[in-house]
Amino acid sequence: MSRRLSLLAQRTAIVLALGLFLAPVLWLIMTAYEPSRAIQSTPPLLWFKPSFANFASIASNFDLSRLTLSSVVLSAGSTLLSLCFGIPCGYALARTRSRSAVIIAYALLAIRGVPTVVTLIPFYLFMQRLGLLGTWWAVILMNATLSTAFVTWMMFSAFQAVPPEIEAAATLDGCTSFGAFRRVALPLVQTSVIAAALLCMMFAWNDFLNPAFLTRAETRPLSVALLTAFGGNTTSGWGNLGAMAHLSTLPIIAVALLLNRYLVSGLTRGIH
Amino acid sequence: MAAPAIIHVTIFAVYPILRGAGFSLFRMNLMQPWLHRFVGLRNYTDALSDPAIRHSLAVTLMFTASCVAMELALGLCLALLLWTDNRFNRVATILMLVPITVTPIVVGLIFRALLDPSFGLIGYWLTWAHLAPPQGLLGDTHTALMTMMAVDVWEWAPLAALILLAGLKSLPADSLDAAAIDGAGPVAKLGRIILPMMLPSIFLVLVLRVTDVFRTYDIVFAATGGGPGDSTNLLMLDAVKQGLQFFDIGYGSAISILMTLAIAILAGVIILALRGLDRRYNTL
Repeated sequence: MSRRLSLLAQRTAIVLALGLFLAPVLWLIMTAYEPSRAIQSTPPLLWFKPSFANFASIASNFDLSRLTLSSVVLSAGSTLLSLCFGIPCGYALARTRSRSAVIIAYALLAIRGVPTVVTLIPFYLFMQRLGLLGTWWAVILMNATLSTAFVTWMMFSAFQAVPPEIEAAATLDGCTSFGAFRRVALPLVQTSVIAAALLCMMFAWNDFLNPAFLTRAETRPLSVALLTAFGGNTTSGWGNLGAMAHLSTLPIIAVALLLNRYLVSGLTRGIH
Repeated sequence: MAAPAIIHVTIFAVYPILRGAGFSLFRMNLMQPWLHRFVGLRNYTDALSDPAIRHSLAVTLMFTASCVAMELALGLCLALLLWTDNRFNRVATILMLVPITVTPIVVGLIFRALLDPSFGLIGYWLTWAHLAPPQGLLGDTHTALMTMMAVDVWEWAPLAALILLAGLKSLPADSLDAAAIDGAGPVAKLGRIILPMMLPSIFLVLVLRVTDVFRTYDIVFAATGGGPGDSTNLLMLDAVKQGLQFFDIGYGSAISILMTLAIAILAGVIILALRGLDRRYNTL
């Protein structure tokens, strides 16, 4: 009996905690369908007749397809670039016997720990001189650099867990060493690659500070536009925020929940 | 095969960091280019003696310590609750991922709206019941910082819980069974067996969260902008304001380099402390 009671108490605690974690997000979704007259009522209402006015309002004030395109280009670009750099680098570091490999891996990790502002100011001037300021490239290069360090570190530890003998066997069977990497080692660390890619994508998609300073009106992503949509904490801003979050925040939550296995494995080992 | 990544990181991270360190030794304001000159460590001494920056440092340290402590404690409770492997707990663990994935800017804005004293779903009732000041929890200098801490804990306690849960699940079952046979009560078991064996996971949470919370920007920028007054003004907000809004690049860079040093020191202290603890427990 006391065992059952304690199970009941445990589950109640979990449900309460989940309620606290989920309620603000549910409010965000709800408020998108709330007409601004209902938002302005005192006391605040929990029930109202749903309307799509907020969606119409953000569609007329923002070029939504352009903003979404920017978000997709920025996160896909920086994820691809950092995987292309980070996977081979992690592999090379894991297969080198020398001590310098470990030092390089830790140095890359330390770079991830430097606050973005340190790099953001010189990076801004650097991009200005290259003529890339305000383009997608500026943000992609910035995010890809931070993520390359992260991907390298993650792949370094993933490849270390793969015994080199398997690749040696493949080489004996006539594989080139690149073939051994691509056909033997890479498939074995698939889970880590997906986890790393997912975290890079989330990081770039949700990033605010870098795109806020490195893009201009035509290249800015959803994360930056959200703040404009919210405005000065007016009640019409709340509805706009909720509506825009349907594009900016709900997709990433959906992806994360669908790929939860990879997200958890990335986060629990991860450095992001 | 390592070369492309290392070259890329050198050009786009190491070079900017070194240039930033270089800028910090100059008086350099893009709004007043004629004043550009070498000043040595002047920006650093200016920053360290500036009462506003000292205040931000105090706020940042308090914010970091409180958030990380609460996230670790709450994370541990959640991890212990979710430890048993069954369908209910697996679903709960997945749902717990939601706060981590929400765009941080949106997190700040959600709570700013919810806690609004006139129309906010929570803020209205809190003020009505006199549990919150009339300006709302985020509008009062006494409560704003604590409220921002709660927001950070809301977003990141699940991450601490996930890491600790992964640690709990990798504990060897036989030492737990041995403790049960020895008749250790749940508290003794937690304190003497589980926590010492969990030190690597605790270490990961501490290092990850301390380095990240110390440079919090998005949620505070979106929720309070550092106000009211300067009650929630974190160092990161100062660095961004000086460097990227006032274009005082020398001063802004000096603040950022100081932040980097502070993060390195904090991470170093945690590593040393946990090494000491680890040695004490695992050699006994």
